[in-house]
Amino acid sequence: MIAAAMANRSTRKMLLTLFWCALAFVYLFPYTWMVLTGFRHGVDTISVPPRIIFQPTLDGFRHLFEVTGFQKYLLNSAVVTIASVLLVIGVSAPASYALAHLSKRSGVLLVAILVARIIPGIAIGVPVYLLATRLHQLDTYQALVVINVAVNIPFAMWLMRSFFMEVHPSLREAAISDGCSEWQVFTKIMLPLVLGGMLATSVFVFIGVWNEFLFALILTTSVSPTAPLAMLGFRTQYGVQWDAVGAAALLVSTPVIVFAFIMQRYLVQGLTMGSVK
Amino acid sequence: MTISQTITGDRATPRRRRRIRMSSVFWFTLPAAAIMLLVLGVPLVYSLYYSFTGWSLVIPGSDQDFIGLLNYTDVLGSSEFWAAISVTLIYAVVAVSLECALGILFAILLNMEFFGRGLFRSLMLIPMVITPAVVGIFWKLLYEQDSGVFNYLLGTVGFEPVAWLSLTFALASVIIMDVWQSTPFFTLIILAGLQSLDRDTVSAAQADGANALQVFRYLTLPHLVPYIMIAAAFRIIGVMADFDKIFLLTLGGPGNATTTLSVYAYNTGFKVFDIGRTTAISWIYVVFVLLVSAPLIWRLFRGASVNRH
Repeated sequence: MIAAAMANRSTRKMLLTLFWCALAFVYLFPYTWMVLTGFRHGVDTISVPPRIIFQPTLDGFRHLFEVTGFQKYLLNSAVVTIASVLLVIGVSAPASYALAHLSKRSGVLLVAILVARIIPGIAIGVPVYLLATRLHQLDTYQALVVINVAVNIPFAMWLMRSFFMEVHPSLREAAISDGCSEWQVFTKIMLPLVLGGMLATSVFVFIGVWNEFLFALILTTSVSPTAPLAMLGFRTQYGVQWDAVGAAALLVSTPVIVFAFIMQRYLVQGLTMGSVK
Repeated sequence: MTISQTITGDRATPRRRRRIRMSSVFWFTLPAAAIMLLVLGVPLVYSLYYSFTGWSLVIPGSDQDFIGLLNYTDVLGSSEFWAAISVTLIYAVVAVSLECALGILFAILLNMEFFGRGLFRSLMLIPMVITPAVVGIFWKLLYEQDSGVFNYLLGTVGFEPVAWLSLTFALASVIIMDVWQSTPFFTLIILAGLQSLDRDTVSAAQADGANALQVFRYLTLPHLVPYIMIAAAFRIIGVMADFDKIFLLTLGGPGNATTTLSVYAYNTGFKVFDIGRTTAISWIYVVFVLLVSAPLIWRLFRGASVNRH
């Protein structure tokens, strides 16, 4: 009887597993197709019918690096992203700590942060472009970094604030009684305690900046775009170079997928700005 | 320092202590607040100012023409603007509803017991994090009428090829693409909700003779409602600001079939160079988004003010 029930149960598990294999295969097909396209000769992709089985090749990657110079765009993306993440975290960490532990009346600032987070980027696109032109900052790293930092501060502050809130305020009070300054409390006690949360926040900001497209489109010309913006160039020339498009898609999207996997534990909290844990 | 000294010290200078605390709040928040104010606040104020001028980059000197509310009345009276509003609303409502329904389904399926569950939970996240620009360009390839793989697959089961990016289907294609990318977002949050559902309550209900459907209707679903609301609120805001994917897939076309508010604002600013009009659109857009997201802002704000120690 028990054995039968157990057998029944594992058959059920087995069937569900098979079902999920099929479902995941169908659902992830566009992604699988993208990966395959990067390793397939362009002609094999546009042949009718498209070749499911093919001779794999690295021609797409070769074309991407030797003809398109895509490594330059990846480098631009990396520089902008890393600089932005460091600045966002450096600036937001003390601010979010102050909001969580020092200020009792931070209502106005909290609402300002939320509003800043929700305003669509395009709403400030034109004035940002005009300002950057006037200050001769088009096509520079610093322009992209500054705008990405500003756009990500509200999110980072809000999320890190929720991590600082998890630290009990008595820790700060004890340290202050022992003669620590507010800055020492922050650097010596609070920062080590929220390191995990800070790392998670950094990864979210990384993904956000790496994927950013609109301000890159507004602030850079086609000479020195970031990697996502360089995808726009393929819109007109892909006809010949499917393999290169696939390779580029793979190179741009893989780092963020890897990061998301690593940070899976924090994903829900990050995506809902701490409102679901 | 002894304990008694600390206590008397505290008593002697409460005022001073408070002042120190306020001044450190100021210094701790200054860099972040300054950057937000300068880089986000100043452009917003600029754009409010420009929206009252007839400034167009193709007409020299026009930045000095004050035309009052003319840009606003112009925009609100143009059929293009209302077309963009309706595209944005259709996109938001249809995409978010489908994502929600599919998300619930996937979450329930991922919450059951099977082999490799953790692996599938991870794999299903992939679409959500792929760079939107990559999704846009790649789905354009998938949707190609003659050489695209979707039409090939339809052909193998005996269907006629679909003109995915034509006037008739373009908006549907944009919606399908977003549903594909964003359903995992709902799945993830609803799964978190399912995992926080008390198993004992469910067992008790089952022991009392409730069937699976009743358990879902009267226990699971009510428990999930707040999770669904949060996910939907974030998604609606995301959909309304969406730009990259649509821009790379269709450029807002054909015609203005997929021109959402964001694409409309971009085109007016960077194709027509009508600064006055674009900034007016931007401000209408901001007010529209803030109105729609007001409940979420309120909820997040309330949650943030309540959960103090």
